[in-house]
Amino acid sequence: MHDVLSLIAHHGYAVVFVVVLSEAIGLPVPAAIALLAAGAAVASGALSAPVLLLVAVLGMLVGDSLLFVLGRHMGWALLGWLCKLSVNPETCILRSAESFYKRGKITLVIAKFIPGINTMAPPLAGSMKMDPLLFLQLDVAGATLYALAYGSLGFLFRDFLVAITHGFQTASRAVEMVLLLGLIAYIVYRVQLYRKHSIYRIVPRVQVEELARKLASEDKSNVLLVDVRSHGYYDPNAARIQNSIRLEPNNLPEEIKNLPKDKDIYVYCT
Amino acid sequence: MREATSARVAHLLREKGFNAFVLVGGFAAWRKAGQATEPVPRDDLVKLPTFR
Repeated sequence: MHDVLSLIAHHGYAVVFVVVLSEAIGLPVPAAIALLAAGAAVASGALSAPVLLLVAVLGMLVGDSLLFVLGRHMGWALLGWLCKLSVNPETCILRSAESFYKRGKITLVIAKFIPGINTMAPPLAGSMKMDPLLFLQLDVAGATLYALAYGSLGFLFRDFLVAITHGFQTASRAVEMVLLLGLIAYIVYRVQLYRKHSIYRIVPRVQVEELARKLASEDKSNVLLVDVRSHGYYDPNAARIQNSIRLEPNNLPEEIKNLPKDKDIYVYCT
Repeated sequence: MREATSARVAHLLREKGFNAFVLVGGFAAWRKAGQATEPVPRDDLVKLPTFR
């Protein structure tokens, strides 16, 4: 982190461009920190605000456009690949898709502020065949908002600039504190997630062999197989368990209205 | 968490009064075991909004 701050102070626009571009294509680099530092550099007169905004938006636009085009041609395969690094790839795709489900195209404008969704939004828009011009308009709006938000914060907190340019040790401590708080927040989030998921463990589970036996018996008329895999696994030529039905996990309240209550329902995902 | 989506859905179904179960290992385990599969019908492929 110290290196990033130092680089911003000395190399300005090029570093901002590379960092925001890297984050846009999914690399784990702190674009928000870079924009904060660059905003502080603007306050000191080291960088020009319009040029910085242009460079930052351009960097994000290049990265986002690349993923948009790839998403358009590769579809869900790209999303699956991008989500491979997450704890649960399917949930990763599901949550990203859910955002588009709830908010529609406006997701692109706010996506950069939502960790996890920021990288997924452009390829999702591409895979959903969004018009490229509309994508560019929304993405420019989102990138501008993002750059302005963090750049302005850096600009307003001028003291931070002093820490960057004259006392890297102080800046490092501040960054370390931020990282520590971030780590604590992440651990709390994971614990909450674990507790939330622990209630799902009480749901009865069946093994493949047991279900197969049931389907081979006279009892099969009492069985309903339900596929709840997320969209990423629903490309053309995709397969599913024979005679199962699709239930959209993003739209459960509507989807379960027609389910029979007199059958045993076997739910599966990936 | 393994079977996160199916467990969440099955849990909700049980809360609504359905007799729901989770298939351990999901589709991957089913296919690995050589059990019967079928192509996904075309109508089921388009569920998300598209921007065309």
